Amino acid sequence: MDKKITVLDPVGQPSGIFGKRLNADSPMSAIHDPTNQPRDTAENLGSLKMAERLDTLEGKTVYLVSIPFAGSKEFLEELQDWFSKNRPGVKTVFREKKLGWATDEPELWQEIKENGDAVVFGVGG
Amino acid sequence: MENDYGIPTAPIVSARFADYMERDCQSHGVPLRYTYPPYPVGWVSREVLKGYVQGNDPITGIPITDEIINALTKPLTDAEKAFKARKRPERQRLLEPDTEENLYRLFIENGWTDGLPIILPTEERVAEMLTGTDHAPHEQVGMMSVTTNEERLKYTVEKCAVIAVMAGCRPEHFPVILALAASGRPSMPSSTTSFASMMVVNGPIRNEIGMNSGLGALSPINFANSVIGRAWTLMSINLGDVRPGVTFMATTGTTINYNNMCCAENEEDSVWAPFHVRKGFKKEQSVVSLFRGWNVRMLGMAPTKTTREVALQVKGMGRSYTYLIDPLVAKNLKDREGFDDPVKLSEWVAGEMKTPLRGPEAINFIVVGGEVNPFWVATDFNYLQTVPIDPWIPSAGIKKDARPIRMPVPVTCKDGSCGLQL
Repeated sequence: MDKKITVLDPVGQPSGIFGKRLNADSPMSAIHDPTNQPRDTAENLGSLKMAERLDTLEGKTVYLVSIPFAGSKEFLEELQDWFSKNRPGVKTVFREKKLGWATDEPELWQEIKENGDAVVFGVGG
Repeated sequence: MENDYGIPTAPIVSARFADYMERDCQSHGVPLRYTYPPYPVGWVSREVLKGYVQGNDPITGIPITDEIINALTKPLTDAEKAFKARKRPERQRLLEPDTEENLYRLFIENGWTDGLPIILPTEERVAEMLTGTDHAPHEQVGMMSVTTNEERLKYTVEKCAVIAVMAGCRPEHFPVILALAASGRPSMPSSTTSFASMMVVNGPIRNEIGMNSGLGALSPINFANSVIGRAWTLMSINLGDVRPGVTFMATTGTTINYNNMCCAENEEDSVWAPFHVRKGFKKEQSVVSLFRGWNVRMLGMAPTKTTREVALQVKGMGRSYTYLIDPLVAKNLKDREGFDDPVKLSEWVAGEMKTPLRGPEAINFIVVGGEVNPFWVATDFNYLQTVPIDPWIPSAGIKKDARPIRMPVPVTCKDGSCGLQL
């Protein structure tokens, strides 16, 4: 029983390949589909940068973007209500993602880029 | 938004998933500034949600609204600017030598098993498994992750052989295991919704390796069905990176994950063309078809006047349906109700369901069973793909043991000629 034996490691090797959000024209099922889900690479992810922060939210436009998880819309509506009562100098714009939680939505992102200063996404989980 | 559009972003995720998101930041190298309201956010009243908004983040103790505002306005720290992804280390081929008892414990305690006994993958056993294919041990087979977003793990033919050994497979099963691995599909995705998967084998290999497509095909009474189905699970765990609570989030889980409803189609007793032929393959090709969903219901004939109506008993259960039906059911449908092609039946069911279906192509029928009851197993499983097995079979044919291991074959005498067996 005390004799030592050698066995192989069963765990796979890291690939440097990651799953990525779906393209706008992808079917929702592709998020679980290894042949159709878009990929990202460790190199690309390593170059991602956070945006510079705003000095203040006063006078700025903040988009509140609801992802289609249960309660998200209602939570963000309550948040919008809080802003209107407590930070009236902040303009909030509510939007719902149309294409599902996992899908890129470039038209909405472009709208936010053109008309907004910041974005709140929620609520995951 | 942060990188591509330069827009400061405040993502909100319920506190139940705080660890998950922090690990996601580390693996992706982006220190997103999350705010975590209490869980759950769904299915609670407006008053509760208002309280969440006006209350504190239970992780940090900071007011939710302050945290959101800080996320958008507080200057990036040097640590945030220099944040780098945490890279996973390469794995060594061999584990540290140890006693069999300690290694067995190591596999269980590291979460490398399904909790049932395994065969330890020694070099000798893995080498023997590799005789089940002509492909080189170092050949890359694919990559897999149970998550949608995390790093995929890649694997070679040898790594698949390790999994096959652990599951108790013999070399004759190995081509099926390699076909499963080549799909890159885990059988137990991360989703909180507790996915179940199913695999059905068609073609000559079914009988060559002794798979069960007849009586009790979905029950644990067949060696090949048992070890092959289990191998897909062990593959998902070790090659798909299952880490409970970290990458695997199925809230209730499902016992289907143990074996993935592994079976073969009963082509011999079916009145229809085999499933894989209907999907564009030739009858003499060996393939494995993969399915995924949540719900499984056993259906008998009793409440209906016609056979086809049984299919409607699960109306509303899903947007896709895959039915496993006994050969008796298929015969009834063809001989008494005119469905000489199951595609016609799919069209009829889609028309009758009048629920948000993906269309007749999302309704599939597979013939499985031993002709002792016109029984149905109805699922909301979605057909994913059919993977060829033949490319993984050795040129000399399936590598069988001198005396292949077989469990007792169900007695299927239909004319009484075999007599009573006591």
